Parts: sequence; C-alpha cells; structure tokens
Amino acid sequence: MTRRVLVAAIALIALVTMLAGLPGGLTAQGKVAKIGLSLPLTGADADGADAILKGAQMAIAEINAKGGAGGYKLEAVVFDSATPAAGQYDPAQAATNYKKFIADALVLAAVGPNMSGEGKAISPILSEADMATITPSSTNPDITDPKFQSQYRPKGKAVYFRTVTTDAYQGPNMANYLFHAQKVKSVFVLDDGGAFGVGIADSFQKRATDLGVKILGRDRLDPKEADYKTILTKIKGLNPDALYYGGVMQAAAKLATQGFEVMPRVIKAGSDGVYDLSWPKQSGKESVEGWFCSQASPELVTSQKLEAWVTKFKNEMKREPTNYAITSYNAVLVIADAVGRTASANKPITRSNLRDAIQATKMSSIQGPIAFDANGDILTRTVSIYQWRDGEIKYVGVAPEK
Amino acid sequence: MMDVVLQQVVNGLALGMMYALLALGFTMVYGIIELINFSHFSVFMTGTFVGLTVLNLMGVTAVSRALTGWTLVATLIVLFLVTMVITGLLGMAIERLCLRPLRNVSGTAPMITTIGVAFVLINVMLLTFGPQAQRFPSLLPNWRWPLYGTAEITFKQLVLFAVGLVLMVILSHLVKRTTLGKAMRATAQDADAARMMGIDVDRVVVLTFFLGSALAGAGSLFFGLYYGFTGYYIGYTTGLRAFTSAVLGGIGSIPGAVLGGLCIGLTQSLGGQLLGVKWTDVMIFSILIFVMVLRPSGLLGVRAPQKA
Amino acid sequence: MIALVGRLGARLGVERWRALPIARRRQILTPALLGIGLLFPVLSGNAGNVDAAANAFTYVLLALGLNIVVGFAGLLDLGYAAFFAIGAYGYGIAASGQLKPEWSSLWAPLEWAGQVSRLVIPGQPDTVQFHVAFWPMLAVSAIICAIFGMLFGAPTLRLRGDYLAIVTLGFGEIVPVVARNWEGLTNGAQGLGGIRTPRWFGYDFGFSPYPYYFLGLALVAAAVWISIRLQESRVGRAWMAIREDELAAGAMGVNHVHYKLLAFAMGAAVGGLGGTFYVAKLTTATPDMFTFPVSVMLLVMVVLGGLGSIRGVVLAALFVSFLQSVILQDLTEYIHALGRLVGSAFLQGVELITSLELIFGVILVVMMIFRREGLWPAVRRVSALTREQQTAAPTRGSVVDLAWARPEAAGGAGRPLLEIEGLRKSFGGVAAADDIALTVHAGELVSVIGPNGSGKTTLFNLITGLIAPDGGSIRLEGREIGGRPSHEIVAAGVGRTFQNIRLFNNLSVMENLLVGEHARLEAGVLGAIFRPPRVQQEEAQAVERALEGVAIFGNRLLPRIDHPVYGLSYANRRRTEIARAIMTRPKVLLLDEPAAGMNPAETLELMDLIRGLRGLGITIILIEHKLDVVMDVSDRVVVLDHGVKIAEGAPAQVRSDERVIEAYLGRRRRAA
Repeated sequence: MTRRVLVAAIALIALVTMLAGLPGGLTAQGKVAKIGLSLPLTGADADGADAILKGAQMAIAEINAKGGAGGYKLEAVVFDSATPAAGQYDPAQAATNYKKFIADALVLAAVGPNMSGEGKAISPILSEADMATITPSSTNPDITDPKFQSQYRPKGKAVYFRTVTTDAYQGPNMANYLFHAQKVKSVFVLDDGGAFGVGIADSFQKRATDLGVKILGRDRLDPKEADYKTILTKIKGLNPDALYYGGVMQAAAKLATQGFEVMPRVIKAGSDGVYDLSWPKQSGKESVEGWFCSQASPELVTSQKLEAWVTKFKNEMKREPTNYAITSYNAVLVIADAVGRTASANKPITRSNLRDAIQATKMSSIQGPIAFDANGDILTRTVSIYQWRDGEIKYVGVAPEK
Repeated sequence: MMDVVLQQVVNGLALGMMYALLALGFTMVYGIIELINFSHFSVFMTGTFVGLTVLNLMGVTAVSRALTGWTLVATLIVLFLVTMVITGLLGMAIERLCLRPLRNVSGTAPMITTIGVAFVLINVMLLTFGPQAQRFPSLLPNWRWPLYGTAEITFKQLVLFAVGLVLMVILSHLVKRTTLGKAMRATAQDADAARMMGIDVDRVVVLTFFLGSALAGAGSLFFGLYYGFTGYYIGYTTGLRAFTSAVLGGIGSIPGAVLGGLCIGLTQSLGGQLLGVKWTDVMIFSILIFVMVLRPSGLLGVRAPQKA
Repeated sequence: MIALVGRLGARLGVERWRALPIARRRQILTPALLGIGLLFPVLSGNAGNVDAAANAFTYVLLALGLNIVVGFAGLLDLGYAAFFAIGAYGYGIAASGQLKPEWSSLWAPLEWAGQVSRLVIPGQPDTVQFHVAFWPMLAVSAIICAIFGMLFGAPTLRLRGDYLAIVTLGFGEIVPVVARNWEGLTNGAQGLGGIRTPRWFGYDFGFSPYPYYFLGLALVAAAVWISIRLQESRVGRAWMAIREDELAAGAMGVNHVHYKLLAFAMGAAVGGLGGTFYVAKLTTATPDMFTFPVSVMLLVMVVLGGLGSIRGVVLAALFVSFLQSVILQDLTEYIHALGRLVGSAFLQGVELITSLELIFGVILVVMMIFRREGLWPAVRRVSALTREQQTAAPTRGSVVDLAWARPEAAGGAGRPLLEIEGLRKSFGGVAAADDIALTVHAGELVSVIGPNGSGKTTLFNLITGLIAPDGGSIRLEGREIGGRPSHEIVAAGVGRTFQNIRLFNNLSVMENLLVGEHARLEAGVLGAIFRPPRVQQEEAQAVERALEGVAIFGNRLLPRIDHPVYGLSYANRRRTEIARAIMTRPKVLLLDEPAAGMNPAETLELMDLIRGLRGLGITIILIEHKLDVVMDVSDRVVVLDHGVKIAEGAPAQVRSDERVIEAYLGRRRRAA
C-alpha cells in the first residue's frame, strides 16, 4: 500500500514539474527582455554568488524604475548551477541552465557564470547560439584566449565578455608587485588543486620566473586536509622571502593559522581567492595579518565615489557588497545599454544583434570605462593590491603592470 | 637540513598520535562486532562542534580572554566530560537505532548503513554551522621548546603524545585485565558462546560503542585544541587516515592502533618532505591497499579478517 | 466516483497484470517504454528538460553498471566513479588537443583513418593532433575501463565485503588525484576543454540536447538488455551464487576469481560508456566531477531501487537525477510560495537542494534497515501451491533414471578412484588431519565416522579444495587435486553437500540446481548476451536435467521449484542440496551428515536414495552420526579421532574395535 502511494506521489510530482516546464507557462506582456543568471547559489561558493546575484538584481530594478532599456522591461531568470554531488558549482548543471536560457526565446543575454569551470562548459554553447554572456567574476584566461578559440568559441565571434580582468594579469601583476615593491627574491608557490587556484598559481609562477625570482618549489594543499605543518616545515627549511597561495578559502583558512605558527615573518600573498571578509573570523586576526591579496578590478568598494552606491546596496539587499557585486551590476548596465543602442538603431532585438552591440560597448560606469577587446576581455586591466591589517582589508594600490 | 627532518619527525609523530586517538575507538568497535563503522569519523567531527558549543555556552570563544591556572583546568575537565558523554551517547544511539536491527544480517548492509549515518551527520553539521571553518578557542598555552637548530616541540604536541600513550595503556589494561574487557573479548570471538556463558552481549556492545565514541569525542577535542579550527569535512580525510592506521597496526589491536597511527603520521610528514604533499593521498591509499592485500592482519594483529 | 472507478480498474488491471508470465509482460512493456522514451522530447517541448533527461541517462547507465558489480555479484564498490572518470578522460584526451606528441610515421595509418591530423607549425617539429571519432571511442573506452576494472578488482579477490569496499574506495580516491596531478596527460585541475562532440555521417551533435537524448536512450536500452541477458544466464547465476555464498559457489564449480574479475570488468565497461557519453555532451572534464560523493550517489540509486533489480535501478536512477535537477528545485519554489502565503521566513529561506546529501544519507539508512531489497525489487513470480499439492501424499522418483548422472566407467569398478596419502592439516597448534591415508575404489561407499571434532569435515574440506593441505597428497584418478582450487576439483568430478546446508538462499530451487550444473555448461559472457542457438539449447537441456533431478524427490520439490529456498522446510532444503550435488555429475560424491535432522521415514528414504546413487555407479563417501545408517549402507567404515585414522574395515569389524569404542565413550577407568 505505502509503496503504491509513494510511486503515485513520485509520478504526480514528476508530471507536475514536467508540465510546469511546458511553453504554456510563458506570459509575454509588453516588451520583455530576459537576462539569464546561472550562479552557484548553494554549496561552497554560495556567498559570493549571492552577492553577484544581488548586484544584478539591483541594476535590473533601477533600470526598470527608469522605464526599462530601449522600451523593454528587464527580467531576471535565475538558475542554480551548484549541485550537491559536486558540493559547489557543477559545469554540467551550468550547461543545462544555459541550454534552458537558449531554449527560452525571451532570454537575450546572460550575466555569469561565477566560476571559470562553468565558463568552459557554457562558452561553446553560447557560441553556437550566438548569445552573449557577461561574467563579473570568471577570471581564467583560457576561455577568451584566441589560442583556444576553436575550443571555446568555434564560430569565432566573442561571446564570453567580462567586466573583470583575467588571471592572465592578476597573477603576474602580483608577482610584479612582490618583486618591485617588496623586493622578493625567492618564493614558494602553493595551490589548492582547484581549477582557479592552479591557474592563477601557474600564471604567478611564470611571471615570477621571468622576473628572475627564484622559485624554490611548487606544491599542492588538500582543502580537506587539516594538517599543513608538513609542507610548511619544508617551506620554512628552504628559507623563502615569500609564499604565494593560489586558491580559495577552504585551504586558506588553515594555511593562515598554521603558516603564522610556523613562519610568521615570511611575506605571504594570495589572489582574490583570499579576498574574503570572513577570513579573520575563520583564522584569527593575527594569522591573517600582513597577507597580501589582489582583485581583478580597480578598487571599488571602499572608494569615496562609490559610497552612495554601497550604502544603497546595503540598504536594499541587506548584505555587504563585494567587488564582484559591482562588476555584476555593471554587467547588467552593459546589457541594458546595448539593448538601448540596438533599439535606437532600429535593429530588431535579437541575440545576435545584442551580442554585436555588447561587443561595441563604450560606456562609463562606477568601475571606470568599460569596453571590450575582440576576445571579449575588458580593456582596462587593472589589478588592485590589498593587505590585511588588523583584521581589515586595506587598499594598497594598483599593481604594476610590468 | 637535519633540523628540518627532525621537525618533520616531531610533527609526524604528533600527527600520528592524532590518527591513533581516532583509530583507538574505531578499532575497539571493530574488534567486538567486526563492523567497519564509517560513522565513527563523523561522530568525531560532530564532537568538535559539540565541544565548540559547550565552550561557547561557557563563554569561551576564539576571541575571548585566555584562561589560566585552575580556571583553565576546570574548563578543560568540564569540556572533556560533557563532550565525551554526548558523543558516547550519540554512538550508543547510532548502535541502537541503526546497527542493532542489522546485527544478524550478513553482507555489506551494516556498512552501507554506517555510510548513510556518516552522510547524515556531516550534512546536519553543514546545514547547522555552515560550510566555513569555525575557529576553536586556543585553550592550551602555546609554549614551545627548541630541540635542535630550528626544530622545536610544542606543549600541545607533548600533551597529545602523553594522552595517546596513557589512553593506550588504560585501554589495554581494560581489555586484558577487567571483567568487562574479558566480556568484550569473549563477545568478539563468539557472541553466541558468550551469551551462553551469561554475558549480556547487547550490553557489552552498547558499552563498547559508548567507550569508542567517547574516545572519538576526546580525540575530537584534541583536534580542535591542536589545530584551532574545525569544519564539517574533517571527518573524511582524517578518518580515512585513521582507518588506514588501524588496519596497518592490526585491526582490533589497541597497541596496533597507536603503532599504525605513528607510522602513517611519519609517512605523511617524511613522505611530504621528500615527494611533496600532493602525493600524500596516493601514498596512504597505496599503503592501505598493500596491507589489505598482502597482510590483512596488519603489523600487530592476530586475527586476519575472515572470508565471508 | 471517478476515484472509485479508478481504484477498481487499477485493482483489476494490477491482478491481470500479475497473472501474465514474465516474457509476455516484457513483450508489452518494451515497446511501451521505448515509445514513451522516444516521445518524451516531443511531449516535453522544453529543450532544458530534454537536456536534463539526457544527463539523467548518464546516471542511469552508471547505476546499471554499478548494479552488475554490487547487485549481481555482491561486490560493494565504493569507488565506482573511478571508471566514470577513466571513460571520460579516455575520450577527452583522444578527442581534444591535450596530447601533442611529435609526429612520426607511426601515426600515418591513424591519419589515413581520419582519427588524427598532422599539425604543421613553422619553426617547430610537426605534432599530432588528436580528434578520434566518438563511436569507436565508445568501444575503446569500454575496453580500457574493463581492463582497469580487473586491475582494481584483482587486489580485492580474497577480501571480505567490508574490506573490498575500502580498497575500491581507495582506488576511487586515487584516480581523481592522479587526474589532478598528472598535468601532462589530463591538464590537471584545469581540466580538458574543447572536447569534440560526436559526428554521425557529417551531422555534428553540437549543443542541441536532442541527439544526445536519443543516444543516451539507446545506450540505456542496450545496458538494460545486456543486464537482463546476463542475469538470466549461466554467468548471472554464477554471480548470484558468489553473492549468496562464495564458498558453496566454489564447491559447485564456480571459479570465483574469474567471475569476480568479470563482474568488475563488465561493470567498469558500462561505467566507461557513461563517462564517454557524458563528456562528449559536456565538452569539458575536470577531476572534481568524479569524487566520492558521486560514487555514493550511484550507490544510493542502486540501494534505493533494489540491489540486483534492473528495473528498480533504472527507476531509482531517474528519480534521483530528477530529484537533483528538477524536483527539489521546484519543490523549494512551492515551499517558498507557501512561506510567503503563511508569512514564514523560515519556509521562505529553505533550500532543499542543499539537503540533498542529507536525503541521500537518510535513504541509505532507512533502506538498509527497513527495506533492504529496495523499492522495486526484481520480480519473482512464485506460484502458491494448490490445495491438492499441499495435501498430496509424498511421492518419490527414482534416481537410477538419471542417465546423464552416470559417471563414465573408465577402467571399471574396483579401481582406485580417490587416493589419499599422508594428508596433514593443522590449525594453530591443533592437528585436524594427522597423516591420513585412505583409498576409495570406484563404486564403493565408504563411511567416515568419529566423535565430534575428529576432523571429518576437515577431511571433506581438504578433498574438495576449501582448504589447502599442509602436506600429503590427494589423487583423483591418478591426478593430484590436493591444494587445487575447489572449482577445478568439482570439474574433475568431486561433488559434495555440507553439514550445515549451504544453499543459495535467495535463489530458487531451480536456480540452485542450475548453479550445480555450472561446471558442466559452457556459456560465457558473449553466449549469455547474444544467446546463439547452441547456448539456448544448452540452457534448455540444463533445465530439463534439473527438472529430472528434482523429480527424484517426487512431489516434494517439484511444485516448489520456483520458490526461493529460504522458505523451504528443513527436509526440503536437504533434498535440494543433495539434488544440487548430483547436478555436478560427480564421480565421487561426498555427503556430510545428510541424515541430520531427518525423522526415521525420511532417513529410510535417504538410504534408498544412496543405494540408487550407487546403482548409477557414483562412488560415495559418507559422514554420518546415525550408526544404523552407516552399518546398513557402507562397504567400508573409516574411524577418525583427533585427526588420526584409528580404524578401518568392514562395518561389523569396526563396531567392535576397542579403540573405536574408547574414542566414542572415553577411556575406561581402571578400577581404583
């Protein structure tokens, strides 16, 4: 009896969800332009993704309040790209989400993805459909690199745009900074085994080598491991000037505490992976003290110019913004601007035309001028350097480009 | 260079003792009911959060004032007692609810159940406390003494060694000399015969689970005090290494758990020094596979696991 | 009203459905399910759903592969995602620009076949560009994974269930670590990108979900078909025998090494197919996609559906996939809406998808405790006995009619058949067999008696290969069998029953007997899957012989031939075991206390049966405690005590031997 009830319930749920997905669910009233948002809203990266989502939502609300873009109301279509099996973003789920966007005729462009791992899966899909996405935070350079064009945009035209610059600059510019400003002559490089961490550690290491900094070694931290004393003792024995960590918070939390215990006086630096406001809480103020980190964008959140924006964000969205919330906000503005320009040129608002318009963007924004190169990368390649002091992140300056 | 190696040896032994603490409770339970209890390591992880909560309730947090003297001792005693009782009870509950119904089922159903329990515990902690690491208050003083060159040994490491060795001696005594220990060994060898001799097998199993899980709780507190943090995932990696330690030392053997733990700890630190830490997992799993295939009884074990 | 009609209709329909034979049900179901599968994309209309369904097919495929290993053969594999990974990376490396070896003439034939190209880079040596086609890679991936399956399975062969699981877990962990660290081969943590999508005669699958959906459907259908064919074959029976009782399976002629490796290989091959399909669709592969939680999710699918139940696994895999990608998200929407309705902030904040792993854990625990056979266990149609059958008087058949059970009389009766010399075996310090010598001649019936613990069953175990002797020799027809694995000894012509009855409990009487015939049949994996006429004939004859074997017990077993043996009475279980031993067509049959637990009538019947077996020419060695039986049927009696043969001779002679009496009753105390 119970089994039959269970089977019937499952069948019912499946039927209902299937019907819910049928085209009959669309209601097009007036002119609506949908923007797809596929972000890992659950799992390990949920907090960052949430900030990005809210930045985009704030932009959409603002534009609609002003009457829309080119006569179109903007609407967000939000899908989660994380799955429990992955525990974080899942490229397959991201691919499914983007295919859903493409299947929905009203979705004209997308904001996202958050992680480059997702980007690699979805970029060819976008290229096929000639639809543009603007990512506020995916920094892996391969996706827009012309060397890999046949992999990520087989049709040739750029579809993966960024309002953030890439690790092709973030890693190397930190190397420049350490070499020039901190006079580092030897460094040990660590990564956390993730796609992002390995990529940025590689780009840092290559630049450091080119500058003549001695690379004392390269190893990998296991984020699920508790004890990093082994590698830290080994590093200490090699006596480096600095330690560079490419990766995200899960390993960083332990690296900071144990690094402070084993080698408090060595210079330590990371990427935007350790630009995380919860770090002092996770590792302790003293452990984090002195760590350098970077952001693949100009300094935004603490700048005076943005105070008004930050206050508005905090009030409306009830949380602290991150730099990537701002790049996400701007991504939506780019799309709106593109819609407006396409409409005023009397061209039909199709994905293709929108992509072309996005490509031709020349806009000023709260993060500075926004324009894209032929690959979809943002033209301004500013990387900002920060340092953790007294439990707070302090802006140090723009990283040297050489 | 020598001082680096020496430091790695010291670290490795401390790390190994941590694995040994975990392995002790695990091997005890295995010795009695021949079950690979995956949930043991999640009970360990839960213990850290229980300890964290107990400390927070007592007003001790990562950023509060450091404790000294008798306040410190009293806090530690309360912390250990409460946490060990709670984890012990948790272990008992798991046995009663999830494992006893399967006591007579052969095959892998009981082990699958423990995997399920482990997942439940991990996710409950994840949903309750969030995915980020939580700082554990640093109660033990940070004294350190130089050994040779840059190598040094810390007070925390000494405490870890001491506790591990003391526990090993106490448990060995318990198992070999006391009545309860005899009852446990009898049940391990032939539960039916033990029952016929008047031993309340159910009670023995329950007590073993309580003891083993309380040990996990103690181990979890040492983890928190030693590393200063905890997270929902720590049971997994540390657990697998502790499991390897138990198998290497001889599953069911109490001194074996300690010996195995020390060996694995040294492998991790010296191997990491030599090859780099990115191969640690492969090294340790290879050891596990080799031991299981070539010498299933381990270094000190007597009974090899029977074929089904 | 509608509900009432619906319920009536459902009940009638369900009963009529249950009455159909399995073959007929399949004839109806197969086109129906295929029809739904083919029509679903049209019905759904939403490309996103079709895409989700195509992804789900990957997991169904993987679950079916895991089912072969865990469900059929009973080998708990906790690292199955490793094969998923190997299949995925295998195709990924062959179909992306990852490897760039230098060009040499060795690559020319592949270039001719269109699988690689020569990349000319000015100023650098020419390199090879890989773009192997998808379709041949499906087969290649399957083969590579099968090899790895055997590689990973080999260390586990002598391990018990729990330990086997841990070793497989170890391999499951090692593979993603290697993928992450071996950057030259796999591009490390960055993963492979730009993997080529399949092409079919010029049509590129590209990014549309539809071709993948149909391809996935085809792969799943193929996997289901292969699973069903394997399950109902000699191979499947061997797997299930190993799952139920590995020792007894060996004693019936099943080579556990061969079949365990086969299970690993087949399961891994299916996993490889899943990996190749998945990655061809996704066009990227990263090490994070193949971690332990994926293996656990697959285990959840198999456990939920029912270990060994093909339809259960398919349904559960679909359910869990949709749970993850669609149902939980929509359910969360409803809960949020409900929360807005009642104004509950908690409900509005619930994200069910984060608790999916929690749900997995709960499923595992609940299923194992309350419903170990799964939600949709394999169908076993067991017909209840009719009134007449239940109340019928017991009848008997005659064993002498079993012409095929007659052993070849090479050399005629009276020649030495089994020769044991100097046999020794110790356990710890205890000598269970101490220099035993025994010669059994063809056609003889020798009884082995002795007090408990004297080493009788040990002797049987030594002869049948369950344990290896420490010294001495055992020769069957001149060939040394001491220390050989049990399945070889069975094939050579030694059959046995066990003291404490070791039947394959969840298998039916017929299936138990068919396993008994294992050593006398030949069908292998290919034969099982494709069922050429030769194999069909072999199966039909095997079934016929089994029916004849059952018929020697008249109407006691025949009506129950499809019943699982755990439900039989003790006497019937004994009979089944004896019949199963006869099916191995032994030259020498070892019966270990066959009359234990039988009442006098049954014992007499057993003695008749034994005489009948002798009439067929089968040599019998009998262990029995019922001395009246022993005295009646035996030609010779051997007495063991503490591992030593203390007497041997005609029954009457042995009965009055002083040493024998002392062994049974104890030393007589001399009067003080």
